[in-house]
Amino acid sequence: MASRSIRQRRGRHKIHKDFELQLTSMMDILVIILVFLLKSYSASTNSFATVRGIQLPISKTTEMTPDSLLLIVTPEAITFENQRIVEFVQTADSVGGTSPRYEFKAEDLDENGMRIAKLYDALNRARDKAELLRQKSPARDANGQPLPWDGIMAIQADKRVRYDTLRKIMYTAGAAQFKIFRLLAMRQPQS
Amino acid sequence: MLKRPSTRRRSTAPEIQLNLVPMLDALVTMISFLMFTMAFLSFTMIESPIPMVSSQENEAKLKEPPLQLTLTIKDSEVTLWSPFDHIQPVSIPNKPEGGIDLLKMHEALVGIKQKFPHENQIAFVPKGGTTYDDIVQILDSVRNFDKTDPPVAVLNEKTGVSEQAKQLFGDVIFANLLGGEE
Repeated sequence: MASRSIRQRRGRHKIHKDFELQLTSMMDILVIILVFLLKSYSASTNSFATVRGIQLPISKTTEMTPDSLLLIVTPEAITFENQRIVEFVQTADSVGGTSPRYEFKAEDLDENGMRIAKLYDALNRARDKAELLRQKSPARDANGQPLPWDGIMAIQADKRVRYDTLRKIMYTAGAAQFKIFRLLAMRQPQS
Repeated sequence: MLKRPSTRRRSTAPEIQLNLVPMLDALVTMISFLMFTMAFLSFTMIESPIPMVSSQENEAKLKEPPLQLTLTIKDSEVTLWSPFDHIQPVSIPNKPEGGIDLLKMHEALVGIKQKFPHENQIAFVPKGGTTYDDIVQILDSVRNFDKTDPPVAVLNEKTGVSEQAKQLFGDVIFANLLGGEE
């Protein structure tokens, strides 16, 4: 079969001179999407993210969540400010988050099993860094002193985590001079 | 009878067509930016300060011992009590099918709030096996009023006007965080 000439092939795809794409309906859709996004955007004031394998509890509370240092308890480990600090004891069932155990290795704990040593070090480093930033900041109190460190930590944990695990975390944070805990949850949809 | 007007139009003005392409470009860019930066997850938080050990001097300064309402989670019940005996301890057994009876606990808390409308603090003593989900549900029930709850009036000391309390017991402290019973 003889091949068609280039001119013939071009002619086949030739668009008619008067053809004009109707953009009005697309504009309508895009404007609606834009309005929806702008309306939703005002409600999002934090930069918290969640991780895969974590099921957050749902809360009726409507308080907004300002940004703060974030600790996440995943089925595999504790991460603080996106750094994996301590890994839990892993078993065949706990891998993948099907039935996590949230048990610490004995060598990771001190002070009669209440304080998580690696987390304590990480929290102290974060506090030192925050205090240094406060000292360098131009914001000062009435006496010209740097503003005191707020010591706030947000905790994002799976809903199956037991209080004895949370207690160790909060105890460790308290030892590192954190003063306020923000327990994060998903906001219950308004009915 | 009048003749129907002619539908024929003779116009020499060129047809105006709005160029929507630049506007479309701007909209697509804005939508991409908004979708990239917005948070689709809606978080909320329950704030709790770390418990402080009060000195004996501070305790001596208090004219009257505080209510110090305490909520203790036990294996089969929840107990509301005051270490200074301001209220009779209230025990709320768990539901027959298991789980804490949040409704009855909330009713008991509303009753206490009506007696002590200025009190906002509650000491929370969960047991080691209490899950984070249960803690959040209990704290929701402890901190917030339901729509069906009777209003509780609180005197605003600054204005001298009675106002409706916004929170039931909003300041929650994990009392056994630094040690003590579970």
